[in-house]
Amino acid sequence: MADQRPYAVYDVASGEAGGKLMVTRGTGRRVREALAEVLEGLPVGGVLYVDTRGVELMDYSFADEAVGVLVSRVASGEYGDRRVALVEEDRELLENVEASLRQRSLAMVRVDEVGASPGIVGDVPEHLVETLRAIYEAGSITNADLAAKLGLNHTAMNNRATRLVKLGLIHRTKNTAAPGGRQYSYEGIA
Amino acid sequence: MTATKLELDIRRRGAMRGILTLGSLDPAFEGAEGVSGGSVVLDLRPVEFVEPAGLCGLAALLEFLISRSRLVGVRIPGHNVAAYLERMDFFRIFGHRVETNVDVAALEERRRGNPGTLQELINFHSEDEIPGIINRISEILENRGYLLRERAAICATLSEICANAVEHGHSPFGAYAAVQAYQHIVSGGRGKGEEVLVAIADGGVGVRETLSRNPQYAEFTETDNEALRHALKMGVTGTGEIGRGGGLAVVGQIAARAGGSLSLRSGSGRVTFYGDRTNSRNVPRFPGTFVRVSLPRKAPEEPAS
Repeated sequence: MADQRPYAVYDVASGEAGGKLMVTRGTGRRVREALAEVLEGLPVGGVLYVDTRGVELMDYSFADEAVGVLVSRVASGEYGDRRVALVEEDRELLENVEASLRQRSLAMVRVDEVGASPGIVGDVPEHLVETLRAIYEAGSITNADLAAKLGLNHTAMNNRATRLVKLGLIHRTKNTAAPGGRQYSYEGIA
Repeated sequence: MTATKLELDIRRRGAMRGILTLGSLDPAFEGAEGVSGGSVVLDLRPVEFVEPAGLCGLAALLEFLISRSRLVGVRIPGHNVAAYLERMDFFRIFGHRVETNVDVAALEERRRGNPGTLQELINFHSEDEIPGIINRISEILENRGYLLRERAAICATLSEICANAVEHGHSPFGAYAAVQAYQHIVSGGRGKGEEVLVAIADGGVGVRETLSRNPQYAEFTETDNEALRHALKMGVTGTGEIGRGGGLAVVGQIAARAGGSLSLRSGSGRVTFYGDRTNSRNVPRFPGTFVRVSLPRKAPEEPAS
């Protein structure tokens, strides 16, 4: 959760490469580089909140280059166990972020403000939505408890959660002191 | 030696009467293909009204002619059209490159602001110029009372098609853009409500050749119209990179949501997208890519009686 994990907030509208009117891939690239620098500076397990609430306009090219490419690199493990989340209200500005993430078959966590209850922008396969919801409702939950809650066997549960970890939507920790040996537990990133 | 005379096809009746549209320039583009070295005269005298698409098309045509003839003359009709072209910065860009029958100095003296002009004719060459263009038009829109949602639609439309023009174009003259707001509906009759027209023309390789670079689109690039229809789909791009090729699809959605349209012209294809339907037809070859977006502003709803 946000109050337990290290995090940083990047305000796109007032950032050095940012502003209120965010257009073109070139601008998107500069903003993404600034975001990547902050992300790399976070401790492992940290979360970067990309705050776009001061932005008036983002075109598709900017949204894809700044957010789409960054989320894709986070999902591919380029930043280790560090994640990104979007701080934005549910408004039209989200459409281009949504379109870019769907185009890339990716998704990211969105909150109205840091600490608020999370939602999802982008493309999460239907069968993973239930798993994702259960993890965020629980706050933190073991693979065994989650499997029991959703009526799945441990392997199937593990496969689903692994997909969500790879999408960058949850954290996974290994609990070696668990009864019966190693066990994973999951928690939301925001 | 006599000059080659290029004609226009200006409608003499109906809703489009007297309007310089891109289509009205077709006979001149056809005639321009045969021009080589001599002098040429373009006769605009039947024109009564110029919309951004006609203005950008005219700019592309003149670039094409200037590159292949010794002297280009433009006959411009009465005071209104000349004054409009002056306000749209036409003479600033072309005044010293073509011969006209207009006394530009006299027009400049009487120059007045045009409340509908959102972007004068602008020539640009690189993506780096686009944020400045967008900042300026956004400020004008804000000062004229456009809502954030409307501003976002106009600015995102302009930025995406400007970016396409300079990214794929390889155009010798870069690209021309113009944006104008009207107090009435210009496209397809003069109905109630307002309309913003955005137009851009470049002299690049065109949509079919750009998409042909991606071998997976071989079956969609046999004709210009197929290539244009395909280019409107989400994720279609010459480079094949994931995440690319969304701009035009998003612009189409913006136009459709406003109740307007997105027209593309490239090579001998012309496609207009309305959201629920797409019209295509074969047209005389356009040497580059041309985009026109109509964004109607809804008339205030009348209170229910």
